[in-house]
Amino acid sequence: MKLTHTICPSCSVGCGINLITQKQEAVGTYPYKRHPINEGKNCKKGRECYELLNEEKRLLNPHIKKSNLVKSDWEESLNLAVSEMKSCEPGEIGIIGSGNCTNEECEILKKFATSLGVENIGFPAGNFPYFDFETASLNDVENSQFILIIGNILKEYPLIGRKVIQAKENGAEIITIDYLEKTNTGMISDQYIQTKSIRDFLDKQAKEIQAKLTESSVIIVGKLDHKEELEEFQQIAAKSNSKIIPVMKECNSRGAMKTLSPLSEEKLKAMIDKVKLLYVVEDDIVSHMGEAVKKLDFLITQSTTLNRTALVSDVVFPAACWAEKTGSFTNVTGNTQNVQQIVPPPGEAMDDAAIIMKIAEKMEIDWE
Amino acid sequence: MDSNYLLARAKDKDLLEKGECGGAVSSIFQYLLDCNLVEGVLNLSHGEDIYDGIPTLIEDSNDLIETCGSLHCAPTMFGELISKYLQDIRLAVAVKPCDAMAIKELENRHQIDSDKIYKVGLNCGGTVLPITARKMIELFYEIDPADVVKEEIDKGKFIIELTDGSHKDLKIDDLEDEGYGRRVNCQRCEQMVPRNADIACGNWGTEPGWTFIEIITPKGKELVEGARQNGYIEVKAPSEKAVAIREKVESVMIKMARKFQDKYLEENYPSLEEWDEYWNRCIKCYACRDACPLCYCRECELEKEFYQDSENTPPDPLTFQGVRLSHVCYSCINCGQCEDVCPMEIPVARIFHRMQKKYRDQTGYIAGMDEELPPLYSPEKE
Ligand SMILES: Cc1cc2nc3c(=O)[nH]c(=O)nc-3n(C[C@H](O)[C@H](O)[C@H](O)COP(=O)(O)OP(=O)(O)OC[C@H]3O[C@@H](n4cnc5c(N)ncnc54)[C@H](O)[C@@H]3O)c2cc1C
Ligand code: SF4
Ligand code: SF4
Ligand code: SF4
Ligand code: SF4
Repeated sequence: MKLTHTICPSCSVGCGINLITQKQEAVGTYPYKRHPINEGKNCKKGRECYELLNEEKRLLNPHIKKSNLVKSDWEESLNLAVSEMKSCEPGEIGIIGSGNCTNEECEILKKFATSLGVENIGFPAGNFPYFDFETASLNDVENSQFILIIGNILKEYPLIGRKVIQAKENGAEIITIDYLEKTNTGMISDQYIQTKSIRDFLDKQAKEIQAKLTESSVIIVGKLDHKEELEEFQQIAAKSNSKIIPVMKECNSRGAMKTLSPLSEEKLKAMIDKVKLLYVVEDDIVSHMGEAVKKLDFLITQSTTLNRTALVSDVVFPAACWAEKTGSFTNVTGNTQNVQQIVPPPGEAMDDAAIIMKIAEKMEIDWE
Repeated sequence: MDSNYLLARAKDKDLLEKGECGGAVSSIFQYLLDCNLVEGVLNLSHGEDIYDGIPTLIEDSNDLIETCGSLHCAPTMFGELISKYLQDIRLAVAVKPCDAMAIKELENRHQIDSDKIYKVGLNCGGTVLPITARKMIELFYEIDPADVVKEEIDKGKFIIELTDGSHKDLKIDDLEDEGYGRRVNCQRCEQMVPRNADIACGNWGTEPGWTFIEIITPKGKELVEGARQNGYIEVKAPSEKAVAIREKVESVMIKMARKFQDKYLEENYPSLEEWDEYWNRCIKCYACRDACPLCYCRECELEKEFYQDSENTPPDPLTFQGVRLSHVCYSCINCGQCEDVCPMEIPVARIFHRMQKKYRDQTGYIAGMDEELPPLYSPEKE
């Protein structure tokens, strides 16, 4: 039995957690109380993160589509993927990364695309646009006197929720906006505003709330309907000198944004419509884009599990999961933390960077 | 060696130097591993710094040098690690009283085999949460927490030693008044000497460089005797005065703990409205259940009960904490783990500790100390 410090991969807060391993296998988690973000507190999703490594559907081998998806080997599957890529013009290729990739993987993927002259590259970021303004820190949240929250932060991002609770205990006023009649975050707030849409709130109620914002206020944007809305929230914050913190989903969404462009569903759809071949690293694109991928001529996927995207792909490469690779994640407040390999990847799986390099080698890309 | 009290220290030079108080505990572990009386030792290694204790299984006695010393900012719990992952091996473990209580409760429930385990007890005056400790050192000592090489709790003071060898101390009481210092459950803890372990080791009543050992069980007696005969520790008898001092300190500490019990479990116990506010925060994350060394049901009734509960609002507290209350409150050992891990800062341990205290006052059953299960313990949980 061994305990090793690592970072929770299950959301963007970047909590610390100890992974328990036994004979090179992850068997559980244990509180990591020395970690400054969460002090040993983790939500359920976080404590269960070790299960990602042992999922029944883990991919152990490369697969290719014959009439069905069948087991293949690295040589055959790489050759197939590469010959298809070679037959396409750069403009016919699309590359999709993920907020679950490490910073290093995003960089390699970007480099790969640039070398090939591929411009259609990005990662799904829900409704969040690119931003590079300075965001509030978790301490800012804890020490603020007024917090405006969009979404059910307590439930979705509990360890930011905790900072809200701590602020509340220090006397902060909390106002929450969301769609449902009742939410956890709404219930601990001084005021809960149920709204049809964020647009509606911005148009009708934002003015009134803006008056309450000061430099010791924080706006926590846990969700957006449209990417333009972030800019409006940012302007509201800027006018009152208050701080803002957009909360994206994946553990490295914020880091991925530094190298890959964030793609909304619309942009993603447009990209799929434009290209013939799509190369997807870690994103389960079918789970959010559905049928759209059907029109592609060729789909190459790197995935840890046999997910919906893998199932409809032409070539599938088995990828190493978090804790099976080394790299870094940048959390919601822009804090970059390293993660080390703790267990070996299963079967023939390799980390994403290594797979990208293998493809690059076969594409005869000159890296330096 | 006929008395149950003795002073001991390491024979090995390195352990003597690096040990907290003469390295007796590490030497006893060294003896157990070298003579193959155990296959592993469970204790704490130092991670990043002195605020980072990581539970570690030591299988080679040469590695014990890495686990020497007391970490007062490491409120770890060993109970579940043993019952879940180390059940099959012959083990020795360094236990604070709360660890020993958890193990005892798990032994009573047949989750840990008492024949396979040596419990080397450490007296405990309390632990501080690591980040709390760092903040407090920055705020009140005005020192960069990274410059602290050692910390210690002695004579009511939290003492830090700096890289340049100098010391700085502040009264624990003052720190705790400001909401820092030991965890609140530790403030209430009256089990300073782990008399439910095989031996209880500590620095009360010692001279510098020696550890005071109280032998509790025959197994403990054999253990200390074996370590001595095989040349791992040297021992001597404590003076009568030393024994008296140790008793005195213990009784003062117990009195203080009872005061804190009154404060937190009665005077300042949250009102019903305050509890309502707390429960409004609960996100049903089960962290409190998972961290509790007493919750071990494989199929938890909570999950059955709350399976279909709405996902966007808090659970009904009466049922949610109620199920757990009915399962564990008679046995709550006040280890504070549930409270430590609650992401919503709900003081959950207070409920359980309060219930066990009331139950104890009525029945005399002391959780984690008695050999048998509580009188009202429901057998279908076996
Ligand atoms: C948190 C804490 C509080 C204490 N408070 C008191 C007190 O008030 N009065 C008193 O008489 N004695 C107290 N002690 C015991 C004392 O500090 C020494 O541990 C004891 O005298 C043994 O000394 P040693 O040199 O033989 O130990 P060592 O040979 O240095 O061995 C100590 C062992 O304890 C393990 N350990 C260290 N920190 C922890 C921890 N947090 N939890 C579990 N295991 C741990 C180490 O890994 C090591 O195996 C306390 C110990 C701890 C850990
Ligand atoms: S809040 Fe996010 S990072 Fe923290 S434990 Fe939960 S899922 Fe993991
Ligand atoms: S609960 Fe008691 S035994 Fe456990 S760490 Fe706190 S004071 Fe020590
Ligand atoms: S209820 Fe809390 S304090 Fe009591 S034994 Fe369980 S974790 Fe420890
Ligand atoms: S740990 Fe806290 S928030 Fe989670 S279920 Fe328990 S009481 Fe509720």
